[in-house]
Amino acid sequence: MDDQACPRCKTTKYRNPSLKLMVNVCGHALCESCVELLFLKGSGSCPDCNVPLRRSNFRVQLFEDPMVEKEIDIRKRVLKDYNKKEEDFATLREYNDYLEEIETIIYNLTNNIDIVATNKKIEQYKKDNKEIIMKNKAKIGREEIELEEILEIEKEMEELRRAELQRIEQEAKRQKIREKEALIDELMFAEGDAKDILNTFAQAKASKQEELLPPVPKITQFSTGVKFTRGSADQHIPIIEEGPLYRYEPPPVPDRCGPEPPTLNEIISNGFLQHVKRENETEKAGGYTSKLPCLRALQDAFSGLYHAS
Amino acid sequence: MFSTSSQKKFWTFGDENELVCLREKHNLQFIMKHGAHIDEYQRYNFFLTPDEERLLLKQYELHMKEFCKRFNPPMPKGVVGTSFQYFKRFYLYNSSMDYHPKEILATCVYLACKVEEFNVSIGQFVANIKGDREKASDIILNNELLLMQQLNYHLTIHNPFRPVEGFLIDIKTRCSLANPERLRSGIDEFLEKVFLTDACLLYAPSQIALAAVLHAASKEQENLDSYVTDMLFRDAGPDKLAILIEAVRKIRSMVKMVESPAREKVRLIEKKLDRCRNQENNPDSEIYKRRMKEALDEDDLPYTGSSRMSLDTSGISQVATS
Repeated sequence: MDDQACPRCKTTKYRNPSLKLMVNVCGHALCESCVELLFLKGSGSCPDCNVPLRRSNFRVQLFEDPMVEKEIDIRKRVLKDYNKKEEDFATLREYNDYLEEIETIIYNLTNNIDIVATNKKIEQYKKDNKEIIMKNKAKIGREEIELEEILEIEKEMEELRRAELQRIEQEAKRQKIREKEALIDELMFAEGDAKDILNTFAQAKASKQEELLPPVPKITQFSTGVKFTRGSADQHIPIIEEGPLYRYEPPPVPDRCGPEPPTLNEIISNGFLQHVKRENETEKAGGYTSKLPCLRALQDAFSGLYHAS
Repeated sequence: MFSTSSQKKFWTFGDENELVCLREKHNLQFIMKHGAHIDEYQRYNFFLTPDEERLLLKQYELHMKEFCKRFNPPMPKGVVGTSFQYFKRFYLYNSSMDYHPKEILATCVYLACKVEEFNVSIGQFVANIKGDREKASDIILNNELLLMQQLNYHLTIHNPFRPVEGFLIDIKTRCSLANPERLRSGIDEFLEKVFLTDACLLYAPSQIALAAVLHAASKEQENLDSYVTDMLFRDAGPDKLAILIEAVRKIRSMVKMVESPAREKVRLIEKKLDRCRNQENNPDSEIYKRRMKEALDEDDLPYTGSSRMSLDTSGISQVATS
């Protein structure tokens, strides 16, 4: 571990025992203070390979070889999309081919072989298998929750058992002390033979040990058996019937009751604007243009000319 | 746009007879309500006849024109046009004996200032009125809600001013007329007079604007007929052109007929009105003051108008549902 050193500032674990090496997706390590220095703005490029990085993606290096870290990163990313299960394949052979393909991709990306082509391949795969990926993602999410639940139950049981053991142990200790005292009392004040007394006590002790209290289970469930924390997981969300998609329709133009006035484009192209006061810079800043009042005056002039009483 | 507006739907009428009928109807309604105890002959002498009402309102339209012209700060044309529209609309469904035109006039202008976004406070507004300004502002504010209700809350007015600008831009662009700007004085003069007629209750604002432009052109010895027939109405049928020509002719003749009523006659009518007007709506009367006080005591709105005289069209249900 002593040869762990930051490639940028050359600090070693020996000189600075609190040295923490961080890695990002490219797999090049940097010490914590260098990360702080270089990624002050939140993002920047790796000093080794110039790949643009985000500060939030840095994490503590767990393995000595930074390439392993890089591989873990890539594997995580690739497996997010390549999440098919054995059930998704017709034969074992196909499934194995699929697994091998994943390994090839990860190896290529880790060792910078054919990166462009490989990335293209991943994109293509993503496009082709969009639905299956989504479905499996949801399934994995659900499975994870279930797994967590099982773990929690196990943890609870473990705790219960430990508490029970502790209680029994203490109880036994106290019992022993009490028995001892009773025996001494008996020996002090009873008038019978000391040997007899010892015998009867030994018998009583043996019979007592057999009756043990059954453990009381802790209540963590509703009476229906549904867990507190989660609603019924297997219930499907009802599918809502979707109506037809919205389609824009321009609002109907009301009857102008007059000749058709020029459009905004015609006002510009046919020279109407030469006879209107031009907007100045200040008015322009407020969003005013002389086109609009010109258009409005013309529309008002033409509207209602056909009006007949 | 005018073609989809409430102005076209509810406030543009077929012909002048329709307007006359409406006015007569509400004149008669007032007389029936307030003159039931007076015999036929005296009724005629006591109340205003529809013709007298017409004359009186024409006089007040002239007053309104003057008032708007002298208004300080100077008022945009749109406010004037809107005020006239409100005034005319109000007296289609109300009698001048019920609400004195002097009060409605000021209220119309005040409301038009608001609707046309010409920002004056009530203090600034009554500074333009001679006499007791406090009382004037009370009257205006009291009548404002009544006016809006009587207008059926159709407050947007399509005035002919913007169409005029549109025609001028179009003529400058598509016509070979030399210096169209010289038509302006003629157009303004024409439009000023148009508001003294009933044209804005009968025709579309663009038709009035076109009539103004054509009138101004003929005054300048120019002829824009080819612009109308070859540009504007090129794609429309000859029947539509005929309708427009008739409308323009009618508007121009209406403007030509404008004349101020004889002063002596108006003075007599005003005297008559002072006696026959509805005292419940007269701020100087005892009844009105007592009612105001009662209303104040009840901690209610000071406005107490007579029940609304309904529009004959489907306007009410339209307003109620929309």
